[in-house]
Amino acid sequence: MAAPDRDETLRAALVRGLSRRRTGLGVTAGPGAIWIVLLLIAPLAFMTAVSFASIDSVTFDIVWEPTVNNYRDLVVGGTSEYSLGPLVYKATAFEKAVLLSYAIATVATVLCLVFAFPLAYVMARLDDRAFKIVIYLVLLPFFTMYLVRAYSWRLMFGQSGVLNQVLGAVGIGPVAAFEFGVPAVIVGLTHAYFPYMLITLYASLDGLDFSLIEAARDLGASRVDVIRDHIIPLTLPGIVGGSLFVFVPSVGAFITPQILGQGKVQMIGILIEQRAIGEATNAATASAASMAVVFSIVVAMFLVFRYVDLDELGGV
Amino acid sequence: MATETGEPAEQTSQEYAGRFRNHQRIERLLGKGLYAFAALMLVFLWLPLLIIIFLSFAQSPNLLPFDGLTLSNYQGIAGEPGLRSSVVASFSIATLSAIVATTLGVLASFALTRYRFPLREVYRTFGIIPMVVPGVILGVGLRFYFLTVGLNPSFLATVLTHSLYGLPFVLLIVSARLYTFDESLEEAARDLGADPLTTFRDITFPVIAPAVGAGFLFAWVRSFEDYIRALFVSGINTDPLTQWMFGKITKASAENLNVLNAVSTLVVLAIAVGLAIAMNYGNVTGYVAGTNADDDE
Amino acid sequence: MSHNNELTDDTDRTTGGRLPGSRSVSRRAYLAGAGAAATLASAGCMGEGGGGTPTINVITWNDFAQDPVVESVEENVDATVEITSSTSSTEMFQQMNQSADFDIAVPNNNLVPRFLNAELIEPVDTDTVGNYGDIYQKFRDFVGQQFTQDGNAYGVPIRWGWYGYAYDTREVPDHEPSYNIMFEDDYVDTDLDGEVIMYDEAAKTMPVAALYLAEEEDDPSYREALTENDRMTFTEDQIQSMRDLLIEQKPSLEGYISSDTTFIQQFQQGNFLVGHSGRNEVIRLQENQDADWVEFVVPQEGAMAWYETAVVSQDSDNPEVAWEVVNEYIAPTTGAELARQGKSPSCNPNVADELEESEAELYGRIDPERFEQFIPFKDIDPDVQEPYNAAWEEVKA
Repeated sequence: MAAPDRDETLRAALVRGLSRRRTGLGVTAGPGAIWIVLLLIAPLAFMTAVSFASIDSVTFDIVWEPTVNNYRDLVVGGTSEYSLGPLVYKATAFEKAVLLSYAIATVATVLCLVFAFPLAYVMARLDDRAFKIVIYLVLLPFFTMYLVRAYSWRLMFGQSGVLNQVLGAVGIGPVAAFEFGVPAVIVGLTHAYFPYMLITLYASLDGLDFSLIEAARDLGASRVDVIRDHIIPLTLPGIVGGSLFVFVPSVGAFITPQILGQGKVQMIGILIEQRAIGEATNAATASAASMAVVFSIVVAMFLVFRYVDLDELGGV
Repeated sequence: MATETGEPAEQTSQEYAGRFRNHQRIERLLGKGLYAFAALMLVFLWLPLLIIIFLSFAQSPNLLPFDGLTLSNYQGIAGEPGLRSSVVASFSIATLSAIVATTLGVLASFALTRYRFPLREVYRTFGIIPMVVPGVILGVGLRFYFLTVGLNPSFLATVLTHSLYGLPFVLLIVSARLYTFDESLEEAARDLGADPLTTFRDITFPVIAPAVGAGFLFAWVRSFEDYIRALFVSGINTDPLTQWMFGKITKASAENLNVLNAVSTLVVLAIAVGLAIAMNYGNVTGYVAGTNADDDE
Repeated sequence: MSHNNELTDDTDRTTGGRLPGSRSVSRRAYLAGAGAAATLASAGCMGEGGGGTPTINVITWNDFAQDPVVESVEENVDATVEITSSTSSTEMFQQMNQSADFDIAVPNNNLVPRFLNAELIEPVDTDTVGNYGDIYQKFRDFVGQQFTQDGNAYGVPIRWGWYGYAYDTREVPDHEPSYNIMFEDDYVDTDLDGEVIMYDEAAKTMPVAALYLAEEEDDPSYREALTENDRMTFTEDQIQSMRDLLIEQKPSLEGYISSDTTFIQQFQQGNFLVGHSGRNEVIRLQENQDADWVEFVVPQEGAMAWYETAVVSQDSDNPEVAWEVVNEYIAPTTGAELARQGKSPSCNPNVADELEESEAELYGRIDPERFEQFIPFKDIDPDVQEPYNAAWEEVKA
């Protein structure tokens, strides 16, 4: 008899509590807030602190004497020369890694956009049955482990990869572009994040009123006009959102350059991993590089979000 | 395309008709081109996966010279040391972290949609950030932090990390559902004397349940396929499937690649079956594409 | 002034031709700690308990986890051996540093000073490690130079091996073995552009640059920086020259490679013609794949050598039994099993007596005079650590 009673009172207390606004808010927002503070804000704050400290070379303990050396070394003392006319800039390994990452991510994003748009457009116009088949074919790679997809390109590329073997069999090659390196990394990233772009674009095209487009065409608007004046403006949130979904993870990519770069493509993900647990392990320099990258992404996002709301990025 | 030079047309009307026909032909060609390009993109998505599947039945992990077909790669899986424990580890980590992420995410979605409070925007932004921070940085940051507070890289550390990583997916999907949910239904129930728990159970939950399920699924998949975060926090005694696979890739002997191709094929197969079931059962597309608002009640 | 930490990592992912399966825990270790959460506690709890046969927990390379090795140890020592497989000496250090779970670790020699500095390990119990006196004098000298304090040695060399380069004899003609082949495009009469592989590890590749420069610039100080002290004591200028050399070399490389098995696979596939590599990789390639077209050579400039070194934790509950296990690793029977697993010779020449003739040819005894050409891997001097790390990052950038 006692048990149900206690349940009753517990339930009553819960109901009373939840009916009060303050308690209700605490119960719903609280756990998430605790998680965010303990597992996101605290680590980032800690990493920020470490990035201004240094590491003892014997004990490997953190030496809490404030220094900006870790940041200074990110941008000072480089030897790789870049010249623009009379201007010569000597870039550090970190700067080169950032530049390379942003360049690779940009190319991958553009490729995804160009490749995904026509497919998304077709998908939006398919009848139900055909759509179901195509979306299945698209979602399957989407849900397939990222690692498996990156690995699949490892088999394709390389001097003796599938691509060059097939070319060799018909008497061409080996083609240098199909060896491991930057092109392979770009293809790997494009393939990895293609479904994100596709699905985001599809979501925005799906809401598009195609009768509007046909009307415009009937009125004599050229294809280019229609794309420029109607399709792009209407799908802009999808384009920006999809680009973000490709660009941001591509900048921080690790697996793809590691598997497809043959040690020659040092993107920032690899540089940070090396500093964090690799040969030259150093928590302070790893933290500084990480925070600098976070900062650069925040700035990039800030610029983008002047045009797009985070909410519109929807379910992906 | 320059094949349309027919007879020199003299009359304007004929010319017009000819141009119209040409226009239609170009139109059709472009339309076909569009469909061909779309098909090509599907090939691009699938080709490398098909190669893996094909090679998983091949004697040698090199396409050429082709040495013949075999099932021995699949037989090799059974005796593969560490594979079973990796699969078990990945399933446990994904399930536990998705449960935590879903619980926290659903509650937080309620807070965001049912209450106005200071820092609400900040709360939401930080709830989404774990999805946006590059994995290598989240992993490194949590590794240093965990080590400092005395939690060594381990199973627990991985579950905590992935529960944070999964949170945004639940939050986005469930709060989107709650935004479009007609609050007056809840109010009506309350007016009729239902207490908050009853209202939740009878009115709210049935409506958001598919979204909660989708959020859980997303968090689960993200944890299951994560390599980079786990790399930093999983430690030596926990070896999720992705770590196991990565080891096979970096130590790419012929035997390793054979086993890896077979395991990868099984992963694709499992996902193919799971996805087919899910698509028959619920509106997967809607949740993935964020277009679930208007259907699926 | 900021103290940048840290030694370069060791021969890590590469030493000893480690078997595949990156961090796969051995079957034994797995059974001991099935559930992932349980594994955390297992090692510690099982240390003593039960009385009777003590359990010795070892964190080491996968070779040590193979059944023939474990069985051989357990036959000769009254102990149960639990192996946790690791693929990196740094990881072994971190594990031992973070928990008291392990009695023994077997890192590469260059990491031992780090264990010593962090006060994690015991001096060698020479009474128990009776086989210590049998190992090559050269290794005892190395121990004296690298990790002996107050007359006490802190580690026992187990197996060893060296790095030279391998080339494809079908394409590359006979030549005087020299690092020139990696840096000078006219050294042999074959177009090697895009056909050379280096290791994706500063610890292995920087010394190659130094040995090349020592000859090329006729400047023995590059070599002395490798040999004279317990650390690599390059000057900043030397580091910059090495960096510039490697940056210049990079465009003509096929790539950098970070694991032996990948090396073997890609070499066999014909991805490259000349590869900086460990000897055991090549032996594995020749043995398993019948690749008679592979030639492995020691460059006339000298070769870097690794030797893995067993250390015993200060926190071990059974240090004496632990040293008995270590002793067993360089005993003839167990030593022979280990040599077979890794295709790498034991530091104890007597182990060769237990090997088949064909095995002994590949990883048996060596004429002590040949040791003159070998230089042990060392960590970088802390004073130049920062520029050294930066230099490698720039090479890879």
